[in-house]
Amino acid sequence: MLESQLPAVIVLLLLGTAAKLVTVRTGGEPGALSRLGPAVLVPGRMQAPALLFCAAVEAVLAAGLLLTTHPAFRWGTAAFFAMSTYVLLELRRRRPDAGCGCFGEVSSAPVGLRSVGRTVALTGMALLSVWAPVPGWAAFTHPTWYAAAGVALLAALSPEVEELINRVRYRAPCEQRPAPAESVTLGRLRASGTWRAHRDELTSADPYDSWRELCWRFFAFRNRSGEDVVFAVYLSGRRPAVRVAVVTPEDSDSLPTYTQVSA
Amino acid sequence: MGYPSVERRRVLAAAALGREPGVPGPDPDDGRPLRAISGEILDISPHLIIIETPDGNQERLVIAPWATAWHGADTAPADLPVGALVTMRALQDGRVVERIWADTTRITGTILSITGRRDLTLELDCGPHRGHRTVLVPYRASGRIQVRHPVFEPGYLFDAIGIRQDGAGLALLPATSQPPYPARAVPAPPPAYAGVQQRVSGTATWSDTFDEDEHGLAYPMLERSDAACPDAETSCTGLPYLSIGSLVQVRNVCTGRSANVPVVACGCVAGRFCDRCVECDTSPRGRVAELSPSSFVELGGDLVKGCFNAQIGLG
Repeated sequence: MLESQLPAVIVLLLLGTAAKLVTVRTGGEPGALSRLGPAVLVPGRMQAPALLFCAAVEAVLAAGLLLTTHPAFRWGTAAFFAMSTYVLLELRRRRPDAGCGCFGEVSSAPVGLRSVGRTVALTGMALLSVWAPVPGWAAFTHPTWYAAAGVALLAALSPEVEELINRVRYRAPCEQRPAPAESVTLGRLRASGTWRAHRDELTSADPYDSWRELCWRFFAFRNRSGEDVVFAVYLSGRRPAVRVAVVTPEDSDSLPTYTQVSA
Repeated sequence: MGYPSVERRRVLAAAALGREPGVPGPDPDDGRPLRAISGEILDISPHLIIIETPDGNQERLVIAPWATAWHGADTAPADLPVGALVTMRALQDGRVVERIWADTTRITGTILSITGRRDLTLELDCGPHRGHRTVLVPYRASGRIQVRHPVFEPGYLFDAIGIRQDGAGLALLPATSQPPYPARAVPAPPPAYAGVQQRVSGTATWSDTFDEDEHGLAYPMLERSDAACPDAETSCTGLPYLSIGSLVQVRNVCTGRSANVPVVACGCVAGRFCDRCVECDTSPRGRVAELSPSSFVELGGDLVKGCFNAQIGLG
């Protein structure tokens, strides 16, 4: 029974590590880190190192809990969550607008009582596990109802669950979402039947121009008669819609021209 | 990748998607069209102005009796100095001038350093394409400017309108009220719950980094790889992605005028501003377009006010 909460604690520590690493790695928008978690309490240039340090501590604790029964890791975990509770309370007092950052950028909602309650619950679970007779991996092999109850309690106290559900339900429209890299879209174009139908007429397999407008990425090629062949690839889905047009150079003669700039 | 044929992009995209390629220029249903004319003053009298346009031609224009001019402050048109660079708003097929802005410049960027006690000297980072710029804030204007910039420190945004004097910029008027957060902490756009909107509202501003007489706009939401602009894709308004060469329909909500304006540059600095325009009503937050002075004037904007409430859509 004492070891029943170890799996939940270990999984949460590992999730926290991964989410923090992803947040620092992608960098988000410049300044995004400055709205996240305990990092806001340190100066700007220290924010990424602070998140990385936090992630490293969590990874070490999770590994220790999983593989050994050494009391240092167990007391360390209890102390880590107790300190987190204090930091969250401090964050709530000093920066009521900042998110807890516990799971990186998903936890960007302001710290509420639920987040604080979760760290209190985790402190309790870590304390319970201090006297567990077996290491974490053994607890994973014998799941109990107590473990399920712990997970349910944590889920109820996690505002991130609702955030993730909302993100899936209300995704930004394709026009506003960052698109896959140009090479990925070009790969999808080359896998399409439209491409195979026009491939032999093109002078080069690489486009001379490529641009994105709304939910379409356009690739412009030249064919052997000197005409432009333009493919439009929809940016959503694995087998997207592909449209093609062949435009003769004269088609644009009547249009007014404007110069391009160096601004 | 460069832009070998950005003017072709509109034609090619329209052909691929089977839509009409729009035509740049003002909406023909707008009533009396405005024309923006810029050049250097060769001679000026109370009723007539002679300028040399950027392509080297001389133009003689009638000054309307109600015309006003701005050269650091409101003045009579006849008091403008010969040799000043002017942008003018003209009526009647561009023959009658009703508003003249002389040597007007706009200084937009992130503050790098502030020196001086009475007259302040600012060094600004105006973005990856526009480089650094040094600007002088005279003592008489510094209070007015600082009250619109609640955190007047390095790392924060600066936007002011002034005049060019002896090759340097002199900031005289604040453009808009700036929110008190650092330039790099741009708020996230509001979530788009109801799908994409046909038209996006916000504020349209102008910049003097375009060529004279050029019609175009700088747009913040361009793909970084397409526009070779590492700071793009930042905006606090939910803007759709467009490309250089796209045609944007800009509508001035204050005057009711609209025009199709091509995207000609990356508006990465404009995207960092999350301010409002209070020209005719309070606009939603965020700059949706940074127009060239000519486009701004032809849409009915006043260069000294610095912005107008705008709606944009695909042209």
